[in-house]
Formats: sequence, C-alpha cells, structure tokens
Amino acid sequence: MRSHKVIEIRNLTSSTYIIRMEKNDFTFKTGQYITLGFSGSIDRREYSIYSSENDNFLEVLIKEVENGLVSKKLKRCKTGDYLDVDGPFGHFSLEESEIGRKKFLFIATGTGISPIHSFVETHPEMDYRVLHGVRIEEEAYEKDSYPNGKYILCTSREKSGDYHGRVTDYLLKNPIPSDTVCYLCGNCHMIYEAYDILEKQGISLGPIHTEVYF
Amino acid sequence: MKKVAFKTLGCRLNQYETDALASQFQDKGYELVQFDESADVYVINSCTVTHQSDHKSRNFINQANRRNKNSVLVVTGCMANNAKEELESREEINYVVENDQKTSVFSLVEAHFDGEIIHPSKLNADLFSYGATDKGFHTRSMIKIQDGCDNFCTFCIIPSVRGRAASRPIQDILTNIREVISHGAKEIVITGVNIGRYEFEGYQFDDVVEQILNLEGDFRLRISSIEPDGFGEKFLGLLNHPKMTPHLHLCLQSGSEPVLLQMRRMYTAKRFKEIVQTVRAKNPDFNITTDIIIGFPNEGEEDFSATCDAIKELNFGHVHTFKYSIRKGTRAERMLNQVDERIKTERSEILRNLSDEIKVNYRKSFIGKTQSVLVEKIEGNIANGYGEHYIPVQFTGENIEKNQFYKVKITSIEDGSDPVLKGEII
Repeated sequence: MRSHKVIEIRNLTSSTYIIRMEKNDFTFKTGQYITLGFSGSIDRREYSIYSSENDNFLEVLIKEVENGLVSKKLKRCKTGDYLDVDGPFGHFSLEESEIGRKKFLFIATGTGISPIHSFVETHPEMDYRVLHGVRIEEEAYEKDSYPNGKYILCTSREKSGDYHGRVTDYLLKNPIPSDTVCYLCGNCHMIYEAYDILEKQGISLGPIHTEVYF
Repeated sequence: MKKVAFKTLGCRLNQYETDALASQFQDKGYELVQFDESADVYVINSCTVTHQSDHKSRNFINQANRRNKNSVLVVTGCMANNAKEELESREEINYVVENDQKTSVFSLVEAHFDGEIIHPSKLNADLFSYGATDKGFHTRSMIKIQDGCDNFCTFCIIPSVRGRAASRPIQDILTNIREVISHGAKEIVITGVNIGRYEFEGYQFDDVVEQILNLEGDFRLRISSIEPDGFGEKFLGLLNHPKMTPHLHLCLQSGSEPVLLQMRRMYTAKRFKEIVQTVRAKNPDFNITTDIIIGFPNEGEEDFSATCDAIKELNFGHVHTFKYSIRKGTRAERMLNQVDERIKTERSEILRNLSDEIKVNYRKSFIGKTQSVLVEKIEGNIANGYGEHYIPVQFTGENIEKNQFYKVKITSIEDGSDPVLKGEII
C-alpha cells in the first residue's frame, strides 16, 4: 500500500469528481484499477484509473454513491490530503500487438468511461471510437478530451446526445464491423445485452473484453 | 521422539504445503501421528474460503487443544491471515503463522522447544521454499508452481489472504519435479492459487506444462484446479500427450451469464461450453469436474436454472457445490439482493442430487474400459487408487504395491452417490 498526496480535485457534476494524486513511482497498465481510501482507514473502494500510463499524475473518476461510505468521504478530501492506493489490479487491458493494427470500439456507461479514457489517452494513435451511454448530457464526463468524431454520446433521458437512447439501441441500429475489437465497461445489464448484440453481429468471443461496474 | 499431527482444510495448495511441512518434521526426527491422537505439536493449515471453512478451522483448533493442552498449537493458512487478531487473542494457540511465513513453521516450533519465542512475523517469508513432500499424506506428488491471485472475483477472499499472483521460477519447478521423479513419484500434480496466470520471464502456464511433459521418467501429470481463461491453444494441444491425465478441474461457478458478470469472472458460460466441447472432441470421456457457487447475490430462478442446464449439458465427472457466504471486504459483500439462506439450501439440495446423478452416469460409462490405476491404499489384497481420469478404482490382487501403476479393466460400479469403480488387473 502506498500513500499518495492529493494535488487536485475537479468536480464534473454535483456528484461526480476526479481526484488527481501524485504518481510517485506507481506504474500500471492502462485499463487497470486501484483500491483507494484515506490513509489509515480500513474502508476502501475500487476505482479504475482515469489518467494515462504516461501522465506524471494518477487520476480516478468517482461518482458519489447515495449512502456510500467511501465515495462521500473522498469527495470531501482536500489538496494535500494523503490517500492510500493499493494495486494496480485487473486484466481489462489492451493487447499490445493489436494496438496499431485493429479497429477498436470502446463501449461504456456512466463512470465506466474511466478506463476507456485511460486507453485513449495512453494510445491516442489507435483507430477507435468511444460509445458512451449516460442519462443526461451532463454525465458526458470531459467529452471534449476526445478528438472530433471519436466520441459518440448516447443519452437515454434527454435528446442532447449524438444519439437518443441506450448504447444497446445504438448498437442494434448501427451494426459493428465484425473485425472490430470491442471493450465493454459499465453496468452488468448493459454488458450482458451489448455482448449478445455484438455476438449476433458476428463479433466473435475473442475480441470482446468486459469490466463490470457496480 | 516428539509427535506432530496435522489437519489440512481447503485447497490442493494447502495440501501440498502440509505435505512439505509433514515431510520436514519427519526428516528432523518427529513422529507423524493422526490428528485425533495426542501429539506434542498440532499444525492446523486452515481455510477461509467460506463460513463453513472458518467454522471447521475453529472446530479443529478446539479439538487439538482438548487433546493435549500442553502441546504447541500452530494455526496457519488463509484463516490465519484473515482472522489473525481473533486467533492471536486465543490463549490456547501458540502461534498464528500467515501464509507468507508458512515455510518456516518447523523452525518456529524448534525454536519454541529450545526456549526461544519468535514472533511469526519475524520468520523468513518465502512462498516457494518448501522442501520435499515424500513423507506427506499423498501418494501423488504435488508441485507448487504459483501462489496468489490478481483476479479479484467479487465473491472471493483469496487475493486478500494469499496475496498478489507470484510465479515460481520455471527451472526450480523442473528441478523439483526431476527430484521427486527420481525418488519414485509416479503422478505429479501442479498446484497454485491460479495456475493459469503463471508468468515467469516470458514463460506462461502452457510452456510450463509442455516442459514438464517433456521430462524423462515414468510419471503422469495432473493439472489441479484451473480457471477457464487460464490457458491457450498450446495447452489444449497437449491434452492428448501420453503423460497428461485426461482430467481438468475447470471452475464454472455459475451457468448464468449475468451472474458470471457480477462475479467478475473472466469468461462467459458460452466460452466455458466451447472449451468443454473442444476438450471432449479430442477425448470424449475426458473428465471435467467443476465448482459451483449457489446463491450468489441476485441469483434468481432463471440463473439457477441456467446453472442446472449447464451441469446437465456438460456431463461433469463431479460438481463441488458451495453455498455462497459473504466474505468481509469483498465486493459482493456490498451487493444488494443477497439470497435467503433457505433458498440457498433448497438449491444446494437440487444441485447436489443432479450432480450425483450425472457423476454416477459418467462413472458407469467406464465399465468395460481400462484404467491405469495408481495405487494409494492397500488393505489385505484389496487395492484402492485413482485411474488417469481421477476416478476412484478398487481391485484385488496379490503382492500389489503402493505408488505403482496397474492396468485394470473396469467390471462394475458400487452403489451410492460417490461410487468406486471395481475392476480386475489385466
């Protein structure tokens, strides 16, 4: 377990924020997650890393959970506080050999965009598109950080996005070429449904990678 | 001569580690006695994977203390990591040794008898420095290749108690196996927490298996429990190697795709079925055994039915069922919709009956076939052992020797839910 100093907090919405910490000697593979908690506290939660492998800081994207124990406390943390970081963990990673050769589709819901953001910041040269499902446009966290035409916003509760509806509806109406490598990150229902749709569109099991958010 | 007794709970890795400790104690002059006998030293190698394992571990601690209040009582294993403070507060336990320091249990006990009290945290921490297992409890020779797990399945406490994944150097593994073969081992079982995640200096699990199979000697190789995402095409290509046993314990955990996702497993039920089909295409009677967790949070009737259907479809040789129990600190602890204990019990009963039926049918399919049985126990002229498919076989004969292979033609099967095959030496 390492202690990392908080250097910035960015509030994206009233309930969602990014904590930036000093990176120190921490290394990770883009797509991995850490567990985070206040120094000395036993209460910890898992968060995918939002920043790039190459950044000299470490960022996580956090949504405050109603009645949540850790996310509420973390929201109150201040610059200069220390947080305990454990990890990195997880196998939701890009295949090095595919990065320059394949087309990628990254599908996320809500804060499931976090590891996707890390992917594309780490490898901006990739041939990719991001499909992000949220309820309202406000939840399109830092959408301007994605180059033009790479980010497709699906909003289910208002018509402000590029597509009005869920990501699964978008996939049904916009079939994906079968040679696409797909990464899915978000809630279980989305992953389950999207998986099924992608398989029916001819994308075989190998190129689908999933990470569940709860 | 001082007496030592062991009790092992849980996985094959624990069994291996006990075998190594038991061998070391005997090599240093201790007499190995049964756990229900009076001993000078009791070592409980505990497990904490479910509530039931914790309960059993506590029960054995009480039993050891009752048998000889003056004995040295050592508790090690996963419960020692997970419930360290609780165990350390119990006066009857002399030492609580975490997994990292388990290799040093003997030196701790020796120091104790020399009047020196060492805190276990000061012991040498090394996951792989176990010695030989030749005086252990098993005829099969278990070889540890890996420890720890980074998968963090949402139900599982093991990453917290066994630590991060670590792999033993491949040369050490091969040297260890050559050594046990030279001492007469006939069956090598590779063990670890998540052996499919083996990785050492570019060598993956498939490479380790290939190199072991290429070693000289009269032995066969058994893979213990493995995750369905833990191997590649190369490994599947090795399954028909003459030294490879046709048995895999492939952990399914649930036949429901939504439940597998919530468990954060690294495969789908569909992928699992494809693997089983691939394996059975190479060898139709290949024995695939599995683990199933019953009553994971949000497991509905439809999910449970999917699990039952998978069991019927995949013709498992054995299904090890566990009722889900909350493990503190895991992600699933915080999941809503925990399944009522009564429902878990009902589903366990259904699944157990189904599994027993499938197991019996699977075993019956061996009648008329031949098994190469490694003899583990002899009583009079009755020999018991396991065939290459990891099915228990009993046969009779004169001058049968333990730890030797015998070709046995299967002629009948016992009654009951865990029937032994019976046969005749060819």
